[in-house]
Amino acid sequence: MRLFFFLSTKERVNQVERTARHSPLRVALNRFISVFRKPHNAILLVLGIILTVSTIAPMIFIARDTFSVHPGSVDAHYTGLTEGYTLYNWKDLFTGRLARINLWTPLLNSMILATGSCIGAILFGGGFAYLVTRTDLKYKKYLSAVFIFPYIMPQWTLAVVWQHMFSSRLVTGTSDGLLAALFNVHMPLWWCKGMFPSILVLAMHYAPFAYILIGGIFRNMDANLEEAALILNTPKWKTFFRVTLPMVRPAILSTILLVFSSSVGSYPVPHYMNLVTLSTQYITMGERRIGQASILGVIMILIGVVIMLINQRTTGGRKQYTTVTGKSGQSSQVKLGRVGRRVIAWVCIILTFITGILPIVIFAIETFLPNPGDYSFLTTGNFNLLTLKWWTTAENITESGLYGQLGILYNREIWNAFKGSVIVATFCALFAGTIGTLVGYGVSKNRRSKWAAFVNNMAFLPYLMPSLAVGVAFFIFGSSMGIYNTYLLLILAGTVKYIPFASRSSLNSMMQLSSEIEEAALIQNIPWHKRFLKIIVPIQKSSIISGYLLPFMTSIRELTLFMLLCSQTKIITTMLDYFDEMGLYAFSSGINLMLIVFILLLNAAINKFTGASLDKGIGGG
Amino acid sequence: MRKLFAVLLALTMVLSLATTAFAGETLSVEEVIKQAEQMTNEELFKKAIEESKGKVLYGIGNSSRGKTAGASFIAMLQEMDPSYDGIIEWSQPKSNSIFTTLNADIKSAKHIYAMTLIQDGNQIQSKMLDTGNLLNFIPKEWREAEGVDVEANGHPLALQTLNKIFMFNNVGGDTFMNSWDFVKEGQSPLFMGVNSELVGKNFLYMLTHEKYANYVKDAFDALSEEDKAYFQPFVDEVAEDAVYLGLEAENAKYALAWIKLWCQQYNEETDDGPISNILVTRSAKGQTGLLVYSKLRSIEESPESSVNNITVAAYQDGYQGFGGYAYKHYLQVVKTSPLPWTACAFIAYMTTTQEGFSAWGKDIGGYSANPACNQDHSMDGYVDGENKFDAKNDRGYDWWLSADGGRLVVEDPAYCSQVSFDLGDWIDMIIGSR
Repeated sequence: MRLFFFLSTKERVNQVERTARHSPLRVALNRFISVFRKPHNAILLVLGIILTVSTIAPMIFIARDTFSVHPGSVDAHYTGLTEGYTLYNWKDLFTGRLARINLWTPLLNSMILATGSCIGAILFGGGFAYLVTRTDLKYKKYLSAVFIFPYIMPQWTLAVVWQHMFSSRLVTGTSDGLLAALFNVHMPLWWCKGMFPSILVLAMHYAPFAYILIGGIFRNMDANLEEAALILNTPKWKTFFRVTLPMVRPAILSTILLVFSSSVGSYPVPHYMNLVTLSTQYITMGERRIGQASILGVIMILIGVVIMLINQRTTGGRKQYTTVTGKSGQSSQVKLGRVGRRVIAWVCIILTFITGILPIVIFAIETFLPNPGDYSFLTTGNFNLLTLKWWTTAENITESGLYGQLGILYNREIWNAFKGSVIVATFCALFAGTIGTLVGYGVSKNRRSKWAAFVNNMAFLPYLMPSLAVGVAFFIFGSSMGIYNTYLLLILAGTVKYIPFASRSSLNSMMQLSSEIEEAALIQNIPWHKRFLKIIVPIQKSSIISGYLLPFMTSIRELTLFMLLCSQTKIITTMLDYFDEMGLYAFSSGINLMLIVFILLLNAAINKFTGASLDKGIGGG
Repeated sequence: MRKLFAVLLALTMVLSLATTAFAGETLSVEEVIKQAEQMTNEELFKKAIEESKGKVLYGIGNSSRGKTAGASFIAMLQEMDPSYDGIIEWSQPKSNSIFTTLNADIKSAKHIYAMTLIQDGNQIQSKMLDTGNLLNFIPKEWREAEGVDVEANGHPLALQTLNKIFMFNNVGGDTFMNSWDFVKEGQSPLFMGVNSELVGKNFLYMLTHEKYANYVKDAFDALSEEDKAYFQPFVDEVAEDAVYLGLEAENAKYALAWIKLWCQQYNEETDDGPISNILVTRSAKGQTGLLVYSKLRSIEESPESSVNNITVAAYQDGYQGFGGYAYKHYLQVVKTSPLPWTACAFIAYMTTTQEGFSAWGKDIGGYSANPACNQDHSMDGYVDGENKFDAKNDRGYDWWLSADGGRLVVEDPAYCSQVSFDLGDWIDMIIGSR
């Protein structure tokens, strides 16, 4: 067979025509084989399909629910239908006589709450990040470790602590909290309940996001620009606003993105603080307006989508999460002065004590009180009033003041729920970590492909959707599939929701990886799985482990996402919320302590053995 | 060959007959209930053992104590048949999701839930009974038991009636002698949000019922002239609403005025637990609340907290008006129940035996619809023969419901579901405008 090059022109034309005649199928097949012989393409195709289905299917269920007729609900009552579909729910929610109460006020409150939380988190977390990374502040290591404590705790526990601190008979119409009982201090109502404390609690909870994201940039920032400004006699404030701040803009945008969507979907904090938001209204409307409640879920999902689109427009695709923008090796530290570095450090120590340590101390004390919130041992100075009954009561036949519960150490329901949470968190971490890592790998290898961008967005979308909206979608989906109250449903929801942790972490680290390393192995005919496991994984071990660690840590203390998907005793956070709602704070505080100790121990162990840790995960550490 | 053919034919016939006979024995859940209603407990328990050996019965309910009752039921069946190894898996979903969960289970291809212990008569009526998704089962021994009121508690079958009653903190010497006192200017009674625990909303619906609207009017008439003058404008203001809402009770406007003031003023808490924790403290001087009676059982005496810091409003001599409200826990069989015999047997066990009801019966404030299952709590406040905590001496179901006793407002599913749509929106508008 002669080579094409040696053929005559006529023969060449004939061959081309022949090829063209046979080609459509063969060419397509050849192209298909050629494309999918590359593992990253196959990975993207498979994961793209899985992620699209797992993200879109629940959304379709929730969207359909908004048009469905629900027997016993207003849609059935006012349309006279018993089944089928109707537009009634949409019309009534947007234009009905309860539109202001059911939609507009909760929507406005959610927006204010989310915006306020973003601002608070950025100011608190960003300011703290600046002090820790760019100044010669004292006690940095301690402060850095304690600062992430509020993120480890379930968010509403801070709200409960807030209530314990500031409630007062004169203002909130309850019994006196710690401040009122011990110091006769009565804070105003806006301080005790509603929007302000909700914003503050969420800002404290999400400030570690800002700290990690913004701190990552501060830590690696090239100081040349600031020094140039200094040489040009630029005032410090101008340097900060014109040089420093623009450099941390991507991290600020990332923080806004993450905190805004998380705050919009937060249920427990506004619930405990008596604030009406979209999330709390969703639960409220479940009785007679279930279809309209689903519309609130759709609105929350749309908020997530809009945030993503705005973010893509303002920062140009996936660059928005790149927190490391260049490493010149030069960084300068602002001198706070001999006194200043200590004074500011102590201010920070007090602040972090209030946000990170005090809640833990209060949790611990609460488990020894005779009645929930009964601090009479402080007012009387009689420590004999403290009790171990919440821990050690081993029977519930005689009433020991535990409302029919056994003490924490003997309470099988608590320990079973804890086991359930560990199971759910472990599988979520395994699935989300693996899928996320592969998504990161696949996308990094196809940086210009539209499909890769689509898969990347599809993987990240659930994170931008408020947790309650995702929970609602999976609740309707899971109920229809007959998997309500199963670990399967919880793991499915958790995996979809937390893939972004792993995919972001993985993508950022894979982007830094030169393709030459893998190509060298490819030349030596080393199969893909070996290249991946023996070369790529070891190099990016820290980021990849973070991609497993974060879904684990987050799902073990997650409530909003899971609360509609299972019974109250299935996992530890639903159990914790149950005890908090019931006012059995000793149990909820004990569970909180268990969670905090467990997460810290696990984090420390993983950090010791692998170098990865919680505070390196977000933003690709 | 012929022999082989004959044998095959015979086998086929036998199999067909067996299949037909087996199919003939597969009863629908309705048919099981019909038969079960004619059976004694013992017969029913045997059927349950036969049906659920080695299987799991999934129950779902608003009360976590269903789990304790389930364990007791299994132990009883094991006494009858030591080889019995069935299990009851009990789940308690959050808030209102029990209705969605049950409906989804009924619609799904694989049915899980066999029975439910459920509250909120309004939704049970409109979402579950009117649609036929839940089926009522009345045990024979319950129906025939002494003192059982089948008409009041059989449709749907009630496991128990629970009361939520007005209490107030007496440390500052305040007294509340009339149900209108709780909605006076400046009062902010502690209460679970009506949309977070919907039996509270049913209570408000029920107030507009003729019987209870009369209670409200009688209490109004017993007010001082000064108080009447204060409340009258509120009554006049809602008179038109009563007509617009189609309320038939003559005194509905008094009920609506009370409801409106209540909704504007109540201080929302997440549960009755925190309410009782607050009310019993010394610092909650003069505070009031409407909460479940049984919460008093677990207060530990300390310098700050004491049961004696509160007074049960209806226990005061001369108290006017209603003392609170009563709601019920209903027991129902799911229409797609995979284990209907066991579900019926479990229901019979809880409603006809003291052991079956003991998970609830051990506390004050919960009354079985079968008087034989109730325990006496009239002296729960006595310690070593001395009446130490008067508030804990439960005066019992009959006293609480009687017109010259506690005058509780009792939930009626049919009435609630009849008025809930318009009245529910009216209430939501008041709460949303607070």
